[in-house]
Order: sequence, then structure tokens, then C-alpha cells
Amino acid sequence: MRSLLPGTKLRRSLALAVRSLWLRKLRAALSVLGIVIGTSAVIALMAFGKGSMQDALNDIKKQGTNIIVRSVKPSDDSSTSSRAFVAAYGLKQSDLERFSTFGDSISRVVPMRVFASEVRYLERMYNGRLVGTTAEYADVNNLVLARGRFLTDEDDRNLSNTCVLGAGVADKLFPFEDPVGKSVQLRGHRFLVVGVTADRTPTGGTGGSQAVEDFNGDIYIPFNTCRARVGETVLIRSAGSRSGERVQLSQVVLTIDADFETSEGRQKVKALGEAVKQMLREDHPKDDWAVTVPLDRLEDAEIQQERFTRLLVLIASISLFVGGIGIMNIMLATVTERTREVGIRRALGAKRKDIVMQFLVEAVVQTTVGGLAGVVVGLATVFGVPPLWKLVTGANLPAVLSYWSILLSVGVSVLVGVVFGLYPAWRAARLDPIEALRHT
Amino acid sequence: MPALVRVVDLVKDYHMGDVTVNVLKGLTLSFEEGDFVALMGPSGSGKSTLMNILGCLDRPTRGHYYLRNRDVSGMTDDELSEVRSGYLGFIFQAYNLLPQYTVVENIELPLVYQGIPLDATTKARCVALAEMVGLGERLDHRPLQLSGGQQQRVAIARSLVNDPQLILADEPTGNLDSRTSVEIMQMLTGLNRAGKTIIMVTHENDIAEWARRVIRLRDGRVESDVRNDTKALAEVG
Repeated sequence: MRSLLPGTKLRRSLALAVRSLWLRKLRAALSVLGIVIGTSAVIALMAFGKGSMQDALNDIKKQGTNIIVRSVKPSDDSSTSSRAFVAAYGLKQSDLERFSTFGDSISRVVPMRVFASEVRYLERMYNGRLVGTTAEYADVNNLVLARGRFLTDEDDRNLSNTCVLGAGVADKLFPFEDPVGKSVQLRGHRFLVVGVTADRTPTGGTGGSQAVEDFNGDIYIPFNTCRARVGETVLIRSAGSRSGERVQLSQVVLTIDADFETSEGRQKVKALGEAVKQMLREDHPKDDWAVTVPLDRLEDAEIQQERFTRLLVLIASISLFVGGIGIMNIMLATVTERTREVGIRRALGAKRKDIVMQFLVEAVVQTTVGGLAGVVVGLATVFGVPPLWKLVTGANLPAVLSYWSILLSVGVSVLVGVVFGLYPAWRAARLDPIEALRHT
Repeated sequence: MPALVRVVDLVKDYHMGDVTVNVLKGLTLSFEEGDFVALMGPSGSGKSTLMNILGCLDRPTRGHYYLRNRDVSGMTDDELSEVRSGYLGFIFQAYNLLPQYTVVENIELPLVYQGIPLDATTKARCVALAEMVGLGERLDHRPLQLSGGQQQRVAIARSLVNDPQLILADEPTGNLDSRTSVEIMQMLTGLNRAGKTIIMVTHENDIAEWARRVIRLRDGRVESDVRNDTKALAEVG
């Protein structure tokens, strides 16, 4: 038995609403099912959506404030390539020096020369990708080493024949032994292996000019060593034909000293990107370069995430809307069924607004309880499904719970109760007391 | 004695499509404070319509209804609700208790709509009323656990909780057997003796005999208006 001792009017009407609903438990439960599903859908969909987008964003964020300048073989280079089969194009050493004139904003300049090359150890051979670069490459690419060390500035200065192997290369050439300390053959030179990188996941083809890259087949050597030993012309054999390329620099990564989480930082990175393009436009009439600002992709991805989130919210709102219609339907039935009760209450002095409040509170109590139940179901889904998913499919299902989605969905549930409860409540209040009392 | 209730030239028309039905055709009546009136008449005589107007559940088409000199015939819906909750008590043929509430909660209900906060005092009052009608042992029962007579007694207790000036009883014994009817009528008589004004609709002569005054309606007019002298005499004696 409930005590009727001190209590506010609201608390009492809540208690009475709960009691009235309790009389028809199953019906109340079924009628809020739509709200439960809608709310849990909002929470779960937003968490999974955000989780998967976050993964993609993190990939890009690693590139944060970099500007990537690459050499591109000009497509309409018919006049030169027909005569000279060695194609000369791309970024030059002089460009590299000019990048440093951009001042303090550029905190790092990491040049790279990249070409296909075979690497041997004893009788074993691997067709890998030779990358001549500097020590900072490791920082720019968040490189993790499995063994040994990465190249140092000293290696570069001394033109030393040291190299770091990608995980795939190390696997192929040294299936049984530790590669560090061994010497491998590269283009007729012996290189001492000083480190092995950890397994690197290939970058996803997130679109734009950055294609899928598999780093596990890389062999890193000091940049200056590369220039000294390999020279500027690289011979490529493919399908019986030969061609040569004279490329001084395949790629330069510029790291800007800015915080890409702030809009000023982003402006700065973009402005420098434009400046670099402007500079290259002047010096390279052949159009043999490309500038990629990962930040642009970050922004694209963010816009995409926002759009995605909006879509999810829309879908979830539809389910909440449908849930609301369910509530309205049941409330209309309830009002009809309780017509006599309305008559009794009116006879005992209830005003129209009292009747409106009574039914409105019942509707809101239902949708609120439904919303809270939906939160529970949603949280259970967000925390319970990923481990199961991993168990069954072996794949990760990233989920990032956003707390505002909980507030939002509960808030909307309450609102749905008000909106869809209003009409039935109004209908109840409009009943003629005499007719209502006569109702059986 | 001043008239508690006065109706003057009361007319009520119902429009049913194109047809207008005159239910009350200019009734003029007055009921004194402390009276116990039985309204009788065949169906269609207008007694239910009169009761609805007296109960402020309906408004007359023309004419006036004075409740303690206040003209309630022109009041708004909200004002009528206030009059009902402040001055009137209802007893129905079908008891009309709310099934989801206990005995005490049913008795409390009119207080809720008077805006009186429910506390220990109001609860004590409701319990006292329940005891008065002989249901002190069943405070926490629900209506469906009670017999018809017990339910009607709860309804009587409920009609008293706001200390009304006028109790309107619409065939209060219509659903009860004769023995229980007598119990209920004794209870109403007791209330009347204690000063409550009661207007009761009935179509049974033996029930009407409990009243001090019997008014018969026919076709929306007063057919007879008789003081029940034996009743008055019995009281004097």
C-alpha cells in the first residue's frame, strides 16, 4: 500500500499514472516496444557508426599536419620519351632546399626516393621497394620497429651502407634467423641490416591521390647513401621492354608545426599547401608533381562522418516516430476504454486540464520508461555485441559510445510522449461528462 | 428557511439533427436547505436532465439555476468543475468507483480536484469517513473486492469528503437488493438528519417514501409536488 503522506502533486500524478498503466502491463509494455527499439537503435547505431568512422579518421590523423609532395610522371610527355628512353621528371634536390625557405612553420622535411629493387641474402631474393630516406621518416610515419633501430642522421652523413627491412622482407630473407647484423645485397652493394619494422597495415585507399601502399616490402636506406650508390637514373625492366627514369626525389613529406584540431592550425596547413603548389607551379612547367594535403581528406572524412551520423539519426528518428504512433494508437484505445473514468473524474470536479494532464502524464511515463529501457538495451548492444562479433567473425567492430546520444534519445522519447499523447489526452478532455458517465 | 437551490423557468432543448426535443419545458422549483427530495417520473419525463443540470454537468438552454444565490447557469466549463468539486456530492446508481484505487483513495479523489494537498490530515478524514460508512476494516480493498452495498457506501463516503452543500443521488439503490437498499436509505436519512440536503432520483415508490418531499415530473413539467407528512410526523414523534 502506498502511503499518501506528504508528496507533491506531480509525484502523486506520476504514481497514479504508473498504477493505471500497471493495470494493463502487457499492453503498456507492447506499446512502448517501438520506443525501446527506437532509442536503443539511436544509441547503438551512433556508437557503431562513430566507431567505424573514428578508425578511418585515426588513419588520416596520423598524417595530421603533413603535406605530401610527390613526383608524378607526366602523361603527355610524348616529345621527350620517344627519343630519350630515360624519362627525367619530378622533384629536384633544389626543390628540397627551397622547401626549407618556408621558415619555421615547417618543422620537418622528409625526402624519399622510392623504386622497385631486388634484395638478396645468400640464395634468397625478394622484389621489394627501396626507399631512400632520412631518420625522421620514422616519426612522420609513426613507424614501429620490431627489432634493432631505424636509420639515423649519422648513417646519412656518413653515407653508410645500412638498411632497415620491412617485416615482409625480413620474413622472406631471414625466415629462421635474426636479420639484425647480417648483410644483404642491394644493387650490387652490401648493406648492413640494423633494424626490422613491425608489421604495418597497408594504408587504406581512402581516395584522393594517395593509393593503397603496402609497407611490409620496403627496404629503407639512408637518403644520401641512396643518392651516392644508386645515382639519379633508375632502370626499370618490365614486360621485355626497358625504360629508365631519372627522378631525384620521389616524394617529400613536409610536417607543419600546427595543431590540426584547431581551425587556425588547419588554415595554416592549407595555406602552406597552397604556397607549396604555387612554388611548384612556377618551377615545374611539366606538371610532374602532385601535392596531397591529408587534412583535406580529414575534412572530407569528417563531413562524411557528419552526413553518416545525420543519416543514422534520421533512421532512428523514423523508428521513434513510428513508436510514437504506436503510443498514440494505444492511448486512443485507452481513452475510449476509460471514458467512464473520465466521466467520474469530471463529475467529482476534475477540469479539462486535469484530464489532459492525467493522460499526458501516462503517455510520457510510458515513453520515458521506454526510452530508459532503450538506453539499457542500447548500452548492452554497444558493450555486448563487439566481443561477440569478434568471437564469431574474428573482425573488430569498433564502437564509440557518445554520451549525448543517450541524452538525445531519452529526451526525444519524452518529447514523443508529449507530442503523441497530446491528441488522445485532448480527446479525453473534450468528452461530455454526461455521455462519459453513461458509457459502459 | 432560505432556498438552497432555485431553478427558474428552466428549459432544456436537445437538437437531434433537424428535430428539437423539449425535455424541460420551463421548470420552476426551489429546494430548501436540509431537505430530502425524491424526484420521480417515467423515462423521458426529464428527471435525469434536471439532475444533470442540478449537478452542474449540463447547462440549461434557457432559464436560471441559483445555487445559494449564485447563478450557475451561465458558468464556464471550468467554473462548473469548481462548483462540482466545492459544493456538490454525487452518488450514482452504478457506484462509479475507480477500480485501480483503494477505498481510501477513492474517497480522496474529490480532494485532489479541489487542489487540496493530500497529507496525514486528509487521510485521517477519509479513514474516518470510511469508518462512518462501516468500512473501517477494508480501507485498502479495491472496489472489485467489495459487494455492491459496500461499494455504494464507499461512494457515499466519497460524496461527503468535500463537505458538500448538496448531495445528488441518482437511483442510489437501483442496483441493490431490498435489504441493502434499506441500509443505504438509512444512511442517507441519517445524513439528512445531520443537515445534508439531498436530491435523489428514483422510480421506486418505497424508496421515495424515505424522502421528505416527492416531486413527480412528466413531459418536462412538474406533475405533483407532495410533502411526505408521515415522514415528517414520524420524525416529530
